[in-house]
Amino acid sequence: MFSWIKEYSMFSWNKKDSSSSANTQAEELKTFDRDKTIGYFKRCLEFLPKQYEGNDTHRMTLAFYSLAGLDLLGVLETEYTQERINNWIDWIYAQQILPDENNPELNERICGFRGSPFSGLPYNPSGCRESRLPFDASNLAMTYTALASLLILGDDLSRVDKPSIVNAMRYLQKEDGSFTQTYQGMESDMRFVYCACAISYILDDFSGINVDKVVQYIKESQSYDYGIGQGPGEESHGGSTYCAIASLYLLNKLDEGLLSKDKTIFWLISRQESGFQGRANKPPDTCYSFWIGASLMILDSFEFIDYEKNYNFLMKTSTSLGGFSKCPGCYPDVMHTYMGVAGLSLMEESKKLDSTLNISLKAKENLLSKSVFKRG
Amino acid sequence: MSFESYDWSDIVPIEQDDGPEPLAQIAYDPEYSKAMGYFRAVAQKNEHSERALTLTEKIIEHNPAHYTIWHYRQQILLSLGKDLYEELDFIQKQVEQNPKNYQLWHHRQVIVENLKDCSLELSFTEEVLNDDSKNYHAWTYRTFNLWDNELSFVEKLIEKDIRNNSAWNQRYFAIFYNPTKPSEEFLKTEVEYGISKIKLAPNNISPWNYVKGVIAKSSMEITVLEELCKTYSQSDPISPHALGCLVDIYEDHVKRGLTDKKELGIKLQDISLNAFTDLL
Repeated sequence: MFSWIKEYSMFSWNKKDSSSSANTQAEELKTFDRDKTIGYFKRCLEFLPKQYEGNDTHRMTLAFYSLAGLDLLGVLETEYTQERINNWIDWIYAQQILPDENNPELNERICGFRGSPFSGLPYNPSGCRESRLPFDASNLAMTYTALASLLILGDDLSRVDKPSIVNAMRYLQKEDGSFTQTYQGMESDMRFVYCACAISYILDDFSGINVDKVVQYIKESQSYDYGIGQGPGEESHGGSTYCAIASLYLLNKLDEGLLSKDKTIFWLISRQESGFQGRANKPPDTCYSFWIGASLMILDSFEFIDYEKNYNFLMKTSTSLGGFSKCPGCYPDVMHTYMGVAGLSLMEESKKLDSTLNISLKAKENLLSKSVFKRG
Repeated sequence: MSFESYDWSDIVPIEQDDGPEPLAQIAYDPEYSKAMGYFRAVAQKNEHSERALTLTEKIIEHNPAHYTIWHYRQQILLSLGKDLYEELDFIQKQVEQNPKNYQLWHHRQVIVENLKDCSLELSFTEEVLNDDSKNYHAWTYRTFNLWDNELSFVEKLIEKDIRNNSAWNQRYFAIFYNPTKPSEEFLKTEVEYGISKIKLAPNNISPWNYVKGVIAKSSMEITVLEELCKTYSQSDPISPHALGCLVDIYEDHVKRGLTDKKELGIKLQDISLNAFTDLL
């Protein structure tokens, strides 16, 4: 049934086939240009144009997308020296806010990782213990992408200060069960519920989360169409549906948390147009090939999608620069490039992606066997 | 006054220290780097001043997603006792340029909470939804306060675009998240409303989901849709949503013991055979 999957593998289609002239009458389909995409990620990892200024506080996520993309394409170790990788690991640890040496209570609410050194402390790869800047703070999405990036880079997480991260998380959960991203009082929604669950899973410690409240929040965020919104009463959305389903999986509460697994699967499948849309009656967008695809993968229903249509849509959003854009004809960016590659990866016969943590199986294996938080 | 026109001679800017091998470095605009240099210095002193306020404005111009800057700005605005209605104007201009910026919407919420006046919010979100009737932030924002007349507002948007799922969702929200419980009679008219919209565009998934959602919350049975489903599962072109709804109806029959599983199997086979031949 899925014999053609192998044909569409992103690893076998990297070289252009010059002998396909027999098909000249058919519409010419682009194929995945692996080398160009590798080049795109490598450029993003080193230097991003001014247009990314708006992501300054979220640089860790940009690093994560590039690293995770290169990792999925299997070239991280071949493209870079161990020394380089070690320097990057140091840069990530330099963004860690550690408990104050003399008075840990002083900064307990802001421990974890920030997205970049924007707050102005001197570079210190052993992390910073003097952070009492009034405007310095960790961020749940940055802590999650920092931990994921460290696993991708082969680090054993030995410099991660687990107790302070788990403790700081307690201050970020709201009464309704949702999470905010920083203690500076920001919006709270399903995105940060997922970050909290992924962090707790990686650290193998869920004591920073009130799990019952999280499950309740997810239940209440399920809409009348059985997709899931960012919060109760909000419109079902592919991104928040992924965050909710992956969170439930990581909490081992999938059966308890979904009101009707079948109907949620039906909602997910119904999002396929050519590629996938994030909401009903919206145009397809590259990133939902991952958000919806990975949700279906977690619910063991990925085989119900039309692989070929999905593949062809993704090829239409891949650009001559090697990056993927949100929609055909749009400008590429690093997030959609990673999501495009991850979306393609889900369709591969030999699985390489862990859909729940959004890292490669190799990085997941690193967590389970090498990290200091490995499970019994 | 712009941030450059203030006297900063007492401040030594602090440069960002990225270490020897940074990840995902950004080619900052020199103006942004300069402003951030001053921010790092004044933020360490937690300075609340007019010049710091213009500084936040400059940084926001470059990076409207800078949540730390918004946080700092809120503190300055409140401690200087600034006119928060002016801030609403400022936000309005920002939202016009960045309608999907999370931080801006949150900032608006904080300011409105401090003003204790949300009388401008209805027209504000309405304006945003006029430009993009599916803006998730604007709809989320509207759910914070259940507005009077929300149904008529939603109805206007559905008239404009019958496929606007966000408007359908808000319709459901306005009815079922309202402190006043809707009557059965009202829910019946809602189902009729939905059905009338299905008839206009049988392949539009939004009213199908809406009608099923309303029925599930009422004492009505999903069987009330059986005739409608049969019509549109035999029409040309057939509506896949009618077929899907038929499956729901037959499953419900099994659940309530009105039909057995074997019969369900035959019915489902019928549906898929019909669908298949029609699609050929």
